[in-house]
Amino acid sequence: MTYRVALIGAGTMGGVHARHWNAMPGAEIVGVLDPRADAARAAGPAFADWDTLISQSKPDIVDICTPTPFHREYVEKAAAAGKAIFVEKPLSRSIEDCDAMLAAVEAAGVPAMSGHVLRYFPEFAAAKRAVDAGKVGKPITIRTARMAGFPDLGGRPNWYADPAQSGGLVLDMILHDFDWLRWTFGPVTRVFAKGLYGQEEYFGDLDYALVTLRFASGAVGHVTGSWAHPGGFRTTLEIAGDAGLIEHDSDRSAPLSAMLKTKGGAGGVAVPESPMAPTEDPYYQELAAFVHALQNNLPPPVTLQDAREATRIALAALESIETGKSVTLS
Amino acid sequence: MTLKIAIFSFAHMHAQSYAAAIAANSGATLAGVWDADAARGQAMADLYKTTFYASERELLAQGLDGAVVASENVHHRRLVEMAAEAGVKAILCEKPLATTVANARAMVDYCAARNVKLATAFPCRYSPAFQSLLQKVQGGAVGKVLAIRGANRGKAPGGWFVDKALSGGGAVLDHTVHAADLNWLLLGQNATEVYAETGSEFQHAACEDTGFLTINYDGGVFATLDTSWSRPKNYPTWGDVTIQVVGTEGVIDADLFAQNLVCYDDTAGTASWSNWGSGTDTEMIADFLRLTAGQDAPRLATGEDGLRAVQIALTAYESAALGQPVPVASGN
Repeated sequence: MTYRVALIGAGTMGGVHARHWNAMPGAEIVGVLDPRADAARAAGPAFADWDTLISQSKPDIVDICTPTPFHREYVEKAAAAGKAIFVEKPLSRSIEDCDAMLAAVEAAGVPAMSGHVLRYFPEFAAAKRAVDAGKVGKPITIRTARMAGFPDLGGRPNWYADPAQSGGLVLDMILHDFDWLRWTFGPVTRVFAKGLYGQEEYFGDLDYALVTLRFASGAVGHVTGSWAHPGGFRTTLEIAGDAGLIEHDSDRSAPLSAMLKTKGGAGGVAVPESPMAPTEDPYYQELAAFVHALQNNLPPPVTLQDAREATRIALAALESIETGKSVTLS
Repeated sequence: MTLKIAIFSFAHMHAQSYAAAIAANSGATLAGVWDADAARGQAMADLYKTTFYASERELLAQGLDGAVVASENVHHRRLVEMAAEAGVKAILCEKPLATTVANARAMVDYCAARNVKLATAFPCRYSPAFQSLLQKVQGGAVGKVLAIRGANRGKAPGGWFVDKALSGGGAVLDHTVHAADLNWLLLGQNATEVYAETGSEFQHAACEDTGFLTINYDGGVFATLDTSWSRPKNYPTWGDVTIQVVGTEGVIDADLFAQNLVCYDDTAGTASWSNWGSGTDTEMIADFLRLTAGQDAPRLATGEDGLRAVQIALTAYESAALGQPVPVASGN
């Protein structure tokens, strides 16, 4: 069968999803909801409201790519309509909302997956496989870093700059790391964090956070999140165990680096590139994994419970930034 | 005139580099060495073409201008005070200055009371990469500094380094002091609070090999620091010192030991990094000799600088025991 997909939100992530849905055999976008009609039409057949979308496009899957504050509303609506749900991360700004979404999905008995796409990034997937295979022995210290500029929405109202909506990079970006770390190294028991979140004179142009985690296993984690790096994007990963070490640096694994003359003949900037085969793209992989689970009647590989736990770590980090104390997670 | 310098103990391997730098300096002579381990002391004396003394007092009676102390950490105070009492003009003490704040304070006061200049061996200050970073940060390149992410990791040491009775502590004490000193130079601010997660699961020894510190500074800058002995045995080099300085106008990353040849050796079966960057000890020893000669050596870390760094490291242990941040006591 072909899975019929309704896309809610055709912004940055919605656009990425639309591209992959359209390329995926066995899936098609049958409806798009976005207040910006042009953006909606670019992604697929546009609808003006939820009820029309559901009744006319008859989707099997509702893919929710809205800004975070709208997740709960659409998860609850899609669950009530009996649809399979893919919802972007972070699941929500609050644990109460997470729990409400979990309850709605459970009550409706619909499959639901959250977009913790880092698990599908090949370098992070490979690192987990190596850890699981015992390549470092017992993991003891783990460091990840995710460094970029402040999100730019090209003139659209920037909800990232509103801490109440986005939770800053702790909830929006390094949540990815928290999920991957929890998936790979198990539960987190204590969180201590410092960050620019809540510092009004900087937040809005800049965010930076350094988060220390203690795992139930005894391992210690450290996560760097930056929206203070002008331009570029870089991730690093390091896993030290009692029998080995794994290192990754995106700057050192780009197979292409172009340095081209600009029009005026002045020096250009080196632009590194790390291309992947289209079906190996992590965003394609996570959506394909969801479809595979639906086809085979398997539980989705990243559950809303997983998303709730990652959110709990991120919220603990924000609490630690605000209180200056460590936060214990049970 | 030629300055007469002696080295007290080669327990710390850096002593060999200091000995070589002293021997190579035309303004100084290595007047003798003392070591509690006579065999090691004699071997070092032979290597650096000087005299081994089995008695500290006998060596101190040779009319020394300066003393370098590179013993096990717990013996720093005794040897520094003995040298100060004997009337040397300046003393360079290996880091950490002491294993307790009280001892570090006592050493600083003891030397000050006798007008003996006390210096702490913080060679990272002399790294050209760090000097360039410092110049850029002080010149406003990153705007207002908001945060610093540091790391100083290494392979697991052995011997007295992992014997708390001689070292006073493991990876936290060993490495925090270097990075804390670099932060002090970058910020010129005192630490107000320290949080730490520690562990001992790399080596399962009595002292910790894992240290993740978060340090708050006067003025609001926050910093983290990974001090762990987390490099595996076959890591291509001894370890690293890296610093990421984040400011309102951008970010600078410094990797103090990045200037390496990558060497693949089929005979040894290894891949390793051979560092070709500037050494730091020659410059540091040159400054110590200036200090000994009564000149200014403003780049050289003082006893107070050593004390400030020890205080941060020791506060980390208190925090690790509590699981909460602990204020850095001031003025003791």
